[in-house]
Amino acid sequence: MKVYDGSQSDDGPEAEPERVKVGIAEYEVTADDAELTTSGLGSCVGVALYDTETGAAGLVHVMLPVAEEMDEGKAAKFADSGTQLLIDELHAIGANPRTVQAKIAGGSDMLDFSEGGSGIGDRNVEQVRATLAENDIPIVDEDVGGDHGRSLRLEAASGDLVVKSANREKRTL
Amino acid sequence: MKVDVQSLDTFNQLAHEGAEAATRSLTQMTGIEATVDVTRISLLDREDVGEELRGTAFAGVQFGFEGALAGETVLVFEEKRVGDIVEALMPGGCADESMAQSGVEEIGNIMMSGFIDGWAEHLNATIDHTPPTYIEREGAAVVPDGPETGARDQVFVFRSEIEWAGEDVNFYIYMLPGYGSMAELLAEHVDTAGDAIPIEKLAVFNQMTREGAAKAAENVQMMSGIETEAEVAQLSFVPIEDVPRQFGEDTYVGTVVEFTGTPSGFLLVLFDEASAVTVAEALLPVEPDSDGLTEQHESAVTELGNIMTSGFVDGWANVLQQSVDHTPPRLVHDMGQAIIDPLAAQLGRHQRHAFIIDARMQTDEVDFESEIHALPNEQELRAALDELVVDRADQLEADAEQIF
Repeated sequence: MKVYDGSQSDDGPEAEPERVKVGIAEYEVTADDAELTTSGLGSCVGVALYDTETGAAGLVHVMLPVAEEMDEGKAAKFADSGTQLLIDELHAIGANPRTVQAKIAGGSDMLDFSEGGSGIGDRNVEQVRATLAENDIPIVDEDVGGDHGRSLRLEAASGDLVVKSANREKRTL
Repeated sequence: MKVDVQSLDTFNQLAHEGAEAATRSLTQMTGIEATVDVTRISLLDREDVGEELRGTAFAGVQFGFEGALAGETVLVFEEKRVGDIVEALMPGGCADESMAQSGVEEIGNIMMSGFIDGWAEHLNATIDHTPPTYIEREGAAVVPDGPETGARDQVFVFRSEIEWAGEDVNFYIYMLPGYGSMAELLAEHVDTAGDAIPIEKLAVFNQMTREGAAKAAENVQMMSGIETEAEVAQLSFVPIEDVPRQFGEDTYVGTVVEFTGTPSGFLLVLFDEASAVTVAEALLPVEPDSDGLTEQHESAVTELGNIMTSGFVDGWANVLQQSVDHTPPRLVHDMGQAIIDPLAAQLGRHQRHAFIIDARMQTDEVDFESEIHALPNEQELRAALDELVVDRADQLEADAEQIF
């Protein structure tokens, strides 16, 4: 995990924003207008947080709903612990808890072979909602469900979350 | 000698950390911000190593190493990007070819020292390495010969892909330890004796995959007239969250089934979009109504996916002497990573790691390439291998026709 706080950047004001890739079960936060990207969300969910006051932003790519049944330390893999971790890390770089808002995307139900009940995509989305609600973070926009994959780009300069899919138009949340 | 999930995980992690150490050295030296995208340990035929590099020229450095682990390793990147990389190290350096070469050597030396030292430290042993040799080669030829083996002998390969953030440049590390020394080390790190699998049985699995893919290729030819050959069969091991990373953002068309039995799991038959069009048109009795991938194409792909899946699964079932059933195929047309992600998540509810079984087939005649991937339930795969009498592998070689 790296924190992009601007101290390492010698780029001039016109330089392209730094692009930081967020893998599955990973997260990144930035206070430096970087672009955070993550690709290939199927049933996984991308949670993008943006502080409208300080401009701090963060993105996590979670894979499974709840951490409790799995004996392991990779918090960012799960919707509950991953969302909480992102919130905590965003606060740690100076975000104001009262002005942070969320945009979420992913949680498709493509290729869900599980019988009965709701699929992993739905459960991931529900868990992200629950954890955000516990932290009083509003979801201001979302692009979830359906049966297609998504790739995301969080532009920390504006808080825009750009959603790309293989067979449909790009959307900006 | 036996291997278990724990020992495979330990070594996978070790290779990943080694690649991360190499990447940190790169960043310190050149300011290039790079990250290790994915690391995997695979078992495959020597002749198939590096097949995924086909068609591209690479430059880089090669080393031999010996000690607790012996073998060969390379660090390579696309030859056409050498200039960018050397420029980052010493501005103006790429104007002179010999300077550029020594720049590559320097980068390679520093990165790979980090990589090898990481291994030695973890194994608490000494690993010496030879000075770097500069190499420029095409495709799979860039991968070191490794220890002396026949083309069809199985080798362990560690492969890491490192991405230069924001640039279209990838660095690849391949490490080929001697089979004997690697097998011994793996066996030493087994800590759950009950779950351990004899290493030879993993190799048998590759043989099954190869035969299953051959059967699938036969079915393609029977249906479409396209003569194709099964090219690669490999068994890889990665943490479950790294499974989707093996696939990029490229769009694929194909089918997915869930199979049940011992083992259960998922099986994917995937075509790149161009291949899907080619193969579907070979199946269609009349010209399609419009260009691109139409519904007619998709239904032809579904039919083909079904028959390839059946061929592949029948091959397995015969060797395992277990019945393996599968659901009807579901058509997929999406980013590769997004296709595999929900499947990995479904397995991920019960397991932290996954075996990925890959086969690839292609033909030079037309634009056609197809991949078959299986994601078995890990515990059930272990059980199936446990049941497997290795003798059947010999029978397989001698009497493959009858078995498949």
